[in-house]
Amino acid sequence: MEGNSGKSILQFAPFQSSVDEGFWHRLSSLKLNKFGIDDSPILITGFYAPCSHSQVSNHLTLLAESLPLDSSEESSVPAVSRGNRNRCSVPGILYNTNTVESFHALDKQGLLKAEAKKIWEDIQNGKALEDTAVLSRFLLISFADLKKWSFHYWFAFPALVLDPPATLVNLKPASQVFSVEVAESLSAAFNDWRSSSLTADVPFFLVVIDSNLHATIKHLKDWETYQSAADHKLLFGFYDPCHLPNNPGWPLRNLLALICSRWDLKSVRFLCYRETRGFADLGLSLVGEAQITAPQGWGTLHSTPNAVGWELNKGRKVPRCISLAKSMDPTRLAVSAADLNLKLMRWRALPSLNLNTLSSLKCLLLGAGTLGCQVARMLMAWGVRKITLVDNGRVAMSNPLRQSLYTLDDCLNGGEFKAAAAVNSLKKIFPAVEAEGVVMAIPMPGHPVPSQEEQSVLDDCRRLHDLIDSHDAVFLLTDTRESRWLPSLLCANTNKITITAALGFDSFLVMRHGAGPCSSSHDSKSEDANALSTEMNNLALTDRNGGHRLGCYFCNDVVAPIDSTANRTLDQQCTVTRPGLAPIASALAVELLVGILHHPDGIFAEGEIVNSSNNGSSEQPLGILPHQIRGSLGQFSQMTLVGHSSDSCTACCSIVVSEYRKRGMEFILQAINHPTYLEDLTGLTELMKSASTFQMDWDDGTDDDDDDTCVEI
Amino acid sequence: MEVLLWDGTLSSHDFHVAARAFTENWKQFNPTLPPWIWVPSRLSEQGYLSLEKICIVGSSKEHEQKDVDEEEPEPVDNATLVETSSPQVCYYDFHILYSDSYRVPVLYFRAYCIDGQPLAWDEIEKVLPACSAKVLLESKWTFITQEEHPHLNRPWYKLHPCGTSEWMKLLFLGDESLAKKGVAFEQYLVSWLSVVGQVVGLRIPFEMLNHHKSCN
Repeated sequence: MEGNSGKSILQFAPFQSSVDEGFWHRLSSLKLNKFGIDDSPILITGFYAPCSHSQVSNHLTLLAESLPLDSSEESSVPAVSRGNRNRCSVPGILYNTNTVESFHALDKQGLLKAEAKKIWEDIQNGKALEDTAVLSRFLLISFADLKKWSFHYWFAFPALVLDPPATLVNLKPASQVFSVEVAESLSAAFNDWRSSSLTADVPFFLVVIDSNLHATIKHLKDWETYQSAADHKLLFGFYDPCHLPNNPGWPLRNLLALICSRWDLKSVRFLCYRETRGFADLGLSLVGEAQITAPQGWGTLHSTPNAVGWELNKGRKVPRCISLAKSMDPTRLAVSAADLNLKLMRWRALPSLNLNTLSSLKCLLLGAGTLGCQVARMLMAWGVRKITLVDNGRVAMSNPLRQSLYTLDDCLNGGEFKAAAAVNSLKKIFPAVEAEGVVMAIPMPGHPVPSQEEQSVLDDCRRLHDLIDSHDAVFLLTDTRESRWLPSLLCANTNKITITAALGFDSFLVMRHGAGPCSSSHDSKSEDANALSTEMNNLALTDRNGGHRLGCYFCNDVVAPIDSTANRTLDQQCTVTRPGLAPIASALAVELLVGILHHPDGIFAEGEIVNSSNNGSSEQPLGILPHQIRGSLGQFSQMTLVGHSSDSCTACCSIVVSEYRKRGMEFILQAINHPTYLEDLTGLTELMKSASTFQMDWDDGTDDDDDDTCVEI
Repeated sequence: MEVLLWDGTLSSHDFHVAARAFTENWKQFNPTLPPWIWVPSRLSEQGYLSLEKICIVGSSKEHEQKDVDEEEPEPVDNATLVETSSPQVCYYDFHILYSDSYRVPVLYFRAYCIDGQPLAWDEIEKVLPACSAKVLLESKWTFITQEEHPHLNRPWYKLHPCGTSEWMKLLFLGDESLAKKGVAFEQYLVSWLSVVGQVVGLRIPFEMLNHHKSCN
């Protein structure tokens, strides 16, 4: 034997840890569902295997299976199975604290000592000979920050310290130590040992080479049987996770402690078993000889030797931290899944789909009833993230069946405000939504305001004005005609994308309002709010685009909005409609919005109808962009129509808009308190008079102005 | 089945057959790589193919000597080897699952550092060979998303199977030796992985492809 390495101290390469994501997932689930604040230690199982890579050591690995079963997924995962050659079990203990402070405050020395004591006792009482896996215990302390999906942790692999330390006599690759004959015999013996389910995961063993140069692998406890036979060569072997050519791995430390304590050997020949692709690799495996001097007082059960083994983090004595927010934060996961659907759509059918426009678009929904709920859902489905809902009602018992954002819980104790309940529900559906609820009534013409309430109504008007100003698109989804008047006017004033959906019993109307009367002409294609406001200052009293501007909800009316709920029977007031109607109308309203956003002319886009030959944009990927869609469930039919703006419209004509600009709230109040004021102002009163003179029949003509074109699909 | 009439998909049973043929074949031609293993599902009769812990060793990196408040949990022990550098190692796991809705195989994969920290997609991209980046950028079918692994219930990366049946049909049609003999599902996975593997830097030896052609 060569003695040139003389008295150098035998240095062991520390065990290293690797924690699979699955472990943290199950720990989180256990902590939440089972342990609660109970922070008593948990027995866990680590796994390791002999090194099988010439450059990378094998790590002690924790998997989901390392933890006890989570009751919620009981019996769905098989318990830790023994006999897996690549998963030799190592018993471990987990101290998971409730706070980061208690994590740092843990008595690390004490915990390590406690585990070392277990190893020491198992050596003394012989258990370590029966089940050698207990020689390599490990300890894990952790703090699972379940709010941030981050985990602070620190491993220790307790090793009993020999004092004075063992010295190395020699250490060489096994292939250089053994003759070819022995090497072959040994490889065969190892491969048998590693392929039998009885022994494959037994990490410590005895290598016996008899006088015929025949090698066998025996259990450690058989040492006493073989040591007496003089013609046998004995080596203490172990599965070595380490890849280094000049150092044995960590498990050898406690094996040496066992040998020293039980058998008091002075010189120990050992074999670090390593493999390549599942077979013994005697080139990587090492054979060495160490000299041990039994420390003072060994062999007495009551004094556990010192232990070391806290894992270093990149060479430093600090804990590790892993963040799994990307794979555990449900919000992040929901966002990426939602994005995926839209991206797929863009990829396959709509390459021009602008997801950024949609996700940054601010939508204001006036009304959070059947239409509002459904529109909000559809908007989210299209990737719209910023939604504000305005409603002053509370959720009533009859609502949840038709109003898809509410449940019975929202109706209890007098009912939640719809605006608030809808926002909660939207966040439950998609946590990344930026939804806001505003509890507010929309001031309506024909609902006169008593003087003591005047101030609050005017406050509401200003609030609505500000809301509309701060959003990009407005949906009018209230259940009365008159409640759409003020928003229509405000939208026409600020030139916002405006979409109306209105329901009858079995028919509906969905339309987009045209640009306001003071908007720049079609050619500028400017949607920029700042640019618009400068142009607003050059307000012209007549429509710049004459009759080409598309109409609003009120353009076809010859009466100003009045209180439509007065003198009505209950079924008329409650807007009883066929249940299928609202989802259809809501879906169309949102599709219309998406169409506008993707049209090169945006809000100025002309109204298109099916089969119309005078437009080129039917080649748009989203198809035509109609102005109005009217549908009837009674006929199961749907029509696209175009209606241009009316010079006498009570909501969007230039007279009304300029009057509002001049007189502001005073004008609004007058309109609310005196419905005929609007008719007088816009000339509707005159029109009515002349119409009745000619005895015209308005019954079936109110919806179809002369400019209207309709085509049935 | 004639290739011309075939839609590029395979049944769950065919997938199972193809998987067995593939694992055998892989073992034969890639003795130096870990084997693909069939993992039976605990929920259904289906299972998936798994190739785990493909190790990528980067250059060795010196530990930074940062000034941090180190704790002193234990006294210095001179029998402990202290390494001053460690190799940058990351692992790849690949699973091939069968998609019932698309009726094609789907590649799920993940990558993680040696201590278990998962790598995000942008980090994986950096490690991928240059040719993979090119494929990802240029081809329409290479759509990578993070989705829940149907068997593990944890998010994995996935190559979306939208286009798979189409290009599989083209692949079989374009190859005379394959086209002549009708659709041989035993070849499906080798052909499929020879395309899909490019995206994630997983190469199929040419012999494996050729072997299939010659013995069919």
